[in-house]
Amino acid sequence: MDRRKPWQTVLLYLFVFVVCIVILYPYIVMFSTAAKTDAEMYSANPTIFPIEWQWSNFIDAWKAAPVFKYFLNSIIVAGGATLVAILCGIPAAYAMARMRFKGKGFFLGAVIMSQMFSPVVLLVGIYNVMTTMHLTNSLLGLVLLNAAFNQAFAIWLLRGTFLSISSEMEQAAKIDGCGTVQALLRVLLPVSAPGIVTALIFVFINAWNEYTIALSLISDDLLKPITVGINVFYGYNFIQWQYLFATSLFATIPVIILFLCIEKHLVAGLTAGGVKG
Amino acid sequence: MSQKQKQPSTREMKQRLKRAEPYVWMLPSILLMCAMIVVPIITVFRLSMSEISRANRVKGFNGLENFKDVIASPTFWNTLRNTLIWTVAVVGFSTLIGFVLAMVLNQNFRGRKVVRALVIFPWATSLIIQAVIWKYIINADYGALNVLLSKLGLIDHFVNWTATAGAFFAWECWVGIFVTVPFVTFCVLSGLQSIDTTYYEAAAVDGASFWRKLFNITLPLVRPSLTVSTVLNIIYVFNSFPIIWTISKGDPADKTHTLVTYLYKLSFTLGKSGQAAAVSVIGFIILAVCAGIYMMISLRGEEAD
Repeated sequence: MDRRKPWQTVLLYLFVFVVCIVILYPYIVMFSTAAKTDAEMYSANPTIFPIEWQWSNFIDAWKAAPVFKYFLNSIIVAGGATLVAILCGIPAAYAMARMRFKGKGFFLGAVIMSQMFSPVVLLVGIYNVMTTMHLTNSLLGLVLLNAAFNQAFAIWLLRGTFLSISSEMEQAAKIDGCGTVQALLRVLLPVSAPGIVTALIFVFINAWNEYTIALSLISDDLLKPITVGINVFYGYNFIQWQYLFATSLFATIPVIILFLCIEKHLVAGLTAGGVKG
Repeated sequence: MSQKQKQPSTREMKQRLKRAEPYVWMLPSILLMCAMIVVPIITVFRLSMSEISRANRVKGFNGLENFKDVIASPTFWNTLRNTLIWTVAVVGFSTLIGFVLAMVLNQNFRGRKVVRALVIFPWATSLIIQAVIWKYIINADYGALNVLLSKLGLIDHFVNWTATAGAFFAWECWVGIFVTVPFVTFCVLSGLQSIDTTYYEAAAVDGASFWRKLFNITLPLVRPSLTVSTVLNIIYVFNSFPIIWTISKGDPADKTHTLVTYLYKLSFTLGKSGQAAAVSVIGFIILAVCAGIYMMISLRGEEAD
């Protein structure tokens, strides 16, 4: 690296500073608004930060609506979707990484293609199919849909991980009398832990943040995940911004932490999956 | 001898099993994707050519009637134009900003790790939550942006940031850019970090300028990362629903719709599922073209292994 001239250093820090402010701005707004009192919220002389921090908003939000239930639903949907996506994804990724068979190219292509079709564009079809299967207003329906729409990524990432690991150890295990399943479970999976954890967390986050399918399929208030549930604070004539933002913060912070944990593996996995050439 | 005659048949059986094995391994995944993705795709096509009552009952085949209705509506053409502007503007600016940001984050400076972590924030936060915050920020009566600017003394009285449909849409594009930049940044960053520094050292010996290094070393070498992030973003942004639906719901007067919000409104607000399915099919075809291009790029990389 060249040595930077002083003015370049100043410019660099200035740029970084501006970027940080812009990125943090919505989060600062969310946090400071969540702690405002009603009076301050709509006062004629509005403030940036509250004069009086009303921390009780963060507790009251849980009582103002079935927020706890929304969170529980989100955990069930995201957790279930992650489980299903990984349980279906591991064997598929294993076959695509280690076995030769007719139509492998087609399946790989289909996996990539499926990544392209977001649920929104298929919403009318999804709604129709789910109605027929009695899976509207059902957490199971959300679990299956989220799992399916995350299959592509899960398979792609897991396959990349498996490919990066030499198959010698599995072959040695097979010579020692292990079956294919045992070789996978005992030899390959433990070594692939970072890739598997990355896939787990990424699918979980995607399902946790999902909004559109849940909005269209769930009308029963007590079955709403948090992304749809926060709309209760957002009625047509009455908006409770403080509770809305307090709840949003609770829904956001764990996800950001999870994301920070997998960032390194995720980016490597995404680019390894997408570009090899 | 008799054993030798038997052996081939058992071996054949075993071989047949072995040949079927990969498909068995993939079966759960295939079943899941068929039920949740392929069947809805087929259903959308079927519904797009069906007459559907407001109660969502399919009344029968009606050919291209739904498509004719959709095309006859001026809202559709405006929506199509918006979708193009939205996708090009958001992906274009995000790629540009994300690239510059990645170049900066690739430098050594104090606090780099913290900044890297901050850049993750918009990527990790749910779109619906970001859309709601920005809706609050640009609110004309008590929005945070007006408060901030007036405290800084930059404005005397509160500005109505969304006075026209165009202004609304521009803000939506900004939010789209805000949430899309991190993905580009991290894709490019991983590309930048895999570049061998000896290239730059050699260029420095030759006294190459910043711009020459950028165009002759950096850009060609991060092109694969840029391609992936651009193609994926085109598809993500094209499909992005929560931002526009939350901030403007396609209003005023249906002037800020993109295809996905328009089809949602047609189906879930207006009860015109047939037309919504037709819009889906149109969107589907546009996406299929993009997906085809992406697949060609990915699989070409695959063969190069």
